[in-house]
Amino acid sequence: MSSSPSDWEVVIGLEVHVQLHTRAKAFASSPWGFGKEPNEQVDPVVLGLPGTLPVVNREAVEKSILFGLVVGSSVPEQCAWDRKNYFYPDNPKNYQLTQKDFPVVVGGQVEIELPGASRNVMGEHKFIRIHHAHLEEDVGKLSHAGSGSLVDYNRAGVPLLEIVTEPDLRSAAEAEAFLRSLVALLTQAGVADCDMEKGQLRCDCNVSIRRRGAEKLGTRTETKNLNSISSVRDTVIYETARQIRELEAGRSITQETRGWNAELSRGYVLRDKEDAHDYRYFPDPDLPTLRISRETVARLQKLVPENLYDRQRRYVEKFGLPFTAASVLVVNRELAEWFEAAAAAHPTNPQGIANWVTNDLLRDLAASGGAGAPLTDEVLPAVSLASCPIKPVQLAGLVKLTDDGVISKQQAKEVFAEMFKTGQEALAIVDAKGLRQNSDTGELEKIVQEVIADPAVAKSIAEYRAGNEKAINALKGPIMKRTQGKANPVLIDQLLRKFLG
Amino acid sequence: MAEGFDIDHLAKLARLNLTAEEKVLYSSQLNQILGHFQALAKADLPATIDLARVVSESALRSDEPGPVLGAETVTRLAPASRDGQISVPRVVDDEA
Repeated sequence: MSSSPSDWEVVIGLEVHVQLHTRAKAFASSPWGFGKEPNEQVDPVVLGLPGTLPVVNREAVEKSILFGLVVGSSVPEQCAWDRKNYFYPDNPKNYQLTQKDFPVVVGGQVEIELPGASRNVMGEHKFIRIHHAHLEEDVGKLSHAGSGSLVDYNRAGVPLLEIVTEPDLRSAAEAEAFLRSLVALLTQAGVADCDMEKGQLRCDCNVSIRRRGAEKLGTRTETKNLNSISSVRDTVIYETARQIRELEAGRSITQETRGWNAELSRGYVLRDKEDAHDYRYFPDPDLPTLRISRETVARLQKLVPENLYDRQRRYVEKFGLPFTAASVLVVNRELAEWFEAAAAAHPTNPQGIANWVTNDLLRDLAASGGAGAPLTDEVLPAVSLASCPIKPVQLAGLVKLTDDGVISKQQAKEVFAEMFKTGQEALAIVDAKGLRQNSDTGELEKIVQEVIADPAVAKSIAEYRAGNEKAINALKGPIMKRTQGKANPVLIDQLLRKFLG
Repeated sequence: MAEGFDIDHLAKLARLNLTAEEKVLYSSQLNQILGHFQALAKADLPATIDLARVVSESALRSDEPGPVLGAETVTRLAPASRDGQISVPRVVDDEA
């Protein structure tokens, strides 16, 4: 008997490994960074050479605590480090420093937003609980060549925060939404850069299925080392289908470690590191227990930025922004703050400012290249406003000029393009180009009357008088043409209606 | 005293090739060592944090990059290297 996929419920838990934004390594002073020659960022502590002692990097601890505060966790009074013992060439000292029993972050939750029915409709919001997060060290990078493997220890010792969720996720879409939200929280707080192309965020994905309504969790598999959001999404879809197929064929699920081949879009069973589960953890004798002062927690609490969804709600409620605009602005803190600075400078029309930012400004920033990464599937809008030629208050000035009827919307586009090119004030450009909209009623009245008298438009006038509202638009073109597009369209409309009575 | 371990498994974890005689000898010695821990095991303590050696944040290092060894030194410490990387017998993680 076969059943439909909807008879099954998928249960997902994620372990997300994030490289923290620091200059030196987690327990050593060696610098680290992407793209260096192999083994050039290694010191004796990283290698665990005799006589060396690890010392914890304060910044790594504080970034970890900050993450805890961002997700509303309780910051423990103490945290401690353990040795996880295993022999593998990626691990230079045969143990990895990690936190088993006393992690730096305990509990917390991440708000996620699922896709809506369409782009302009907000989807469902959910909270995904964080079980804990622990501060450990990354391991070296292996590459395989012919009969041997090569080891680069540049990555070994890089501070890595492993964020472990409760098994609260119920679909590939939720897993994807969770990661997008998590990346936004981490980057907006400056905890991590989360550049997936540089391997700064990697994910282990635990998947099991159970009959809908069942309490007991099914046997799970763990797919390791996923380095993109789309790989996590695809893995969940693949594993769900595979497990349903197995169970419906009367077979059982083996608890196993799996890998993911992104090129072929398929999973495979990993030949387990031998006895990988027998790590023989014990408290690291070199690193004493760390007491986390409440003063530090209070200081870091001040660095917690507004949650992106709180910001989104505020934009919709306070500024009256449509969801489409609000949701684009809030994923990038710099962009959101830029928008708010502009909105503060011209408080009567935040929607107008949001329109300019989310359409014209983002488009031109992306096109100008130097503005940062483009909007891709993997990376959140990563535009940088550091090199933006327009200042928030200048955009506010432009919007005010249109709102006051000094220039038309069409003219504003021209002014914006010039502002983006030169960084000049909107008003200066308007004056230099003689772009002021003509609101001289006397002059316009004359032009309107002349146009109405033209036999070429007699048909449109007749139609308008017969009740066809839209026919009036045919008269506006010739008027605009005569004024070189400078006529105030609102005024033209009023005058036409007056004369056509 | 009942053995709380499997000497073959432990030898494998520690990457040790033990002879039959060594296994007998080390099993007996390990048993003696583990015997000392029996007293602690009986106490049934919960996992508690080691408060005997706690440091404050002043014991942390600042995030200042320091000197590195250089790839030449790092690879010289290893038995074999190639192109600035340490060369080891092939370990396979990829799709079998």
